[in-house]
Amino acid sequence: MKAAVDSGADAVYLGFRDATNARNFPGLNFSRAELEHAIDYAHDRNCKIFLAINTFPEAGNAAPWHSAVDDGAAFGVDAIILADVGLLAYTASKHPDLRRHLSVQASASNPEAIRFYQEEFDVKRVVLPRVLTLPEISALNREIQVESEVFVFGGLCVMAEGRCALSSYVTGQSPNTNGVCSPACAVRYEDEGDRLVSRLADFTINTFAPGEAAGYPTLCKGRFIANGKTSYLFEDPVSLNAATMLQDLAAAGVSGLKIEGRQRGKAYVAKVVTSFRRSIDSTHDSNVEVDDLISVTEGQRRTAGAYDKTWR
Amino acid sequence: MFPALNNPPPFSPVLVAGILVRPLPITVIQSILDAAFQRILRHHNGLFERLDCLENPVFLIDPVDLPFVFVLDANVEQPRLQVCSETHGQETATIRGPLLILIKLLEGRVDGDAMFFSRDLLIEGDTEAVVALRNAIDDADIDIANDIISSLGPFARPANFAHRFASRFYNRLEGDLALLHAAISSARQNGPLQ
Repeated sequence: MKAAVDSGADAVYLGFRDATNARNFPGLNFSRAELEHAIDYAHDRNCKIFLAINTFPEAGNAAPWHSAVDDGAAFGVDAIILADVGLLAYTASKHPDLRRHLSVQASASNPEAIRFYQEEFDVKRVVLPRVLTLPEISALNREIQVESEVFVFGGLCVMAEGRCALSSYVTGQSPNTNGVCSPACAVRYEDEGDRLVSRLADFTINTFAPGEAAGYPTLCKGRFIANGKTSYLFEDPVSLNAATMLQDLAAAGVSGLKIEGRQRGKAYVAKVVTSFRRSIDSTHDSNVEVDDLISVTEGQRRTAGAYDKTWR
Repeated sequence: MFPALNNPPPFSPVLVAGILVRPLPITVIQSILDAAFQRILRHHNGLFERLDCLENPVFLIDPVDLPFVFVLDANVEQPRLQVCSETHGQETATIRGPLLILIKLLEGRVDGDAMFFSRDLLIEGDTEAVVALRNAIDDADIDIANDIISSLGPFARPANFAHRFASRFYNRLEGDLALLHAAISSARQNGPLQ
């Protein structure tokens, strides 16, 4: 959080240390006391804190999610990011003045869905799924009355967020309810001398030759044999980087740029946020070089993802 | 720990230093390590609290350019860092890479994921434990030199001076060794030395 604030972020997403947020990794996230300190630290530096409570409450056990909303409101977060309609209704009813953002986990990708969330729960901003092209974002923004926010850097999720069950299928845990995609407890790397093998639970997801850039073993970025040919069937190990499209995104009516970073180290956060701050502040200055950030990308490669969609 | 000849570590001042300290008794290295580790713990009381979700996390930290390994018992109550001349294979996870990268990781100066993706770092064993350790260390804002120097009381100032001198000496030595390495590589490619 400090790295993001100190590097020039306008707002930082945080989560509690439990399954109420979609980055429930071991040793990560904030206790209640830490969140209070974080809010003070950020607000003193003119930075906002958004609290992510963007998993779907366990059936019959909504209390931890309600408690997270209540505590976030009491501590004075600037907005809460939600995905579940029940939780949106709870928040709108109990804390009507607390700003509500719609998480990408809600997978709202058309004007009708977004208008529903606005009319029913007074959502002020929607984080758009990473499946929309730039022209689609532009068209969507012309039809909605709320702010939109898009991912510009980080891991590239190619599935419909909030509805992907691949991780559950292999590990029994998913980002939707447990807050983890391909949880680290199910991940193993094995150095077999002539190759590095990555496994997720009982499945081999990939093998890497010596010196070949490696990736995290999510099922959607595995290398598989199909029809006798070995390839990345869904997506390569690659990171999204839309740094060269900032003007286009602004022209498309986007209000917020989202950098994935909650489960990444502070060196990564500082490097990426600094780079984007510089790019945003010099959008109209063509003499300022944009850092390609290759050194912190998965697979040492980058893509514009769906913004510049091409099909195989 | 020095790897096999067919998988050599990077040519660096650390490798040279590793060869020079090889004859030293392990107890001498352990004494120095104990003093440094205790000083770091004093500065970062709750360093391993974020690991309390794990049962007996023990990490093998393996600098490939030194002739020994470190075993970190990250027990919240009584953490311990040991230097060993061989591995036992009982650890929760192994983190392997050049010493300078391991130090930069400890101080949060490089991104661990990036180091892993580029294959400068190897992780084996319980990945969850490694992720938890990374998050705990990142939270602590460790600065090894500063943590040790600031605990030396009246000796802090001369120690700081010595540290700055050593850093400059290291950087110069690193440059000289890179030049030497390039010259030897070139000579090997172009035939026998004239």
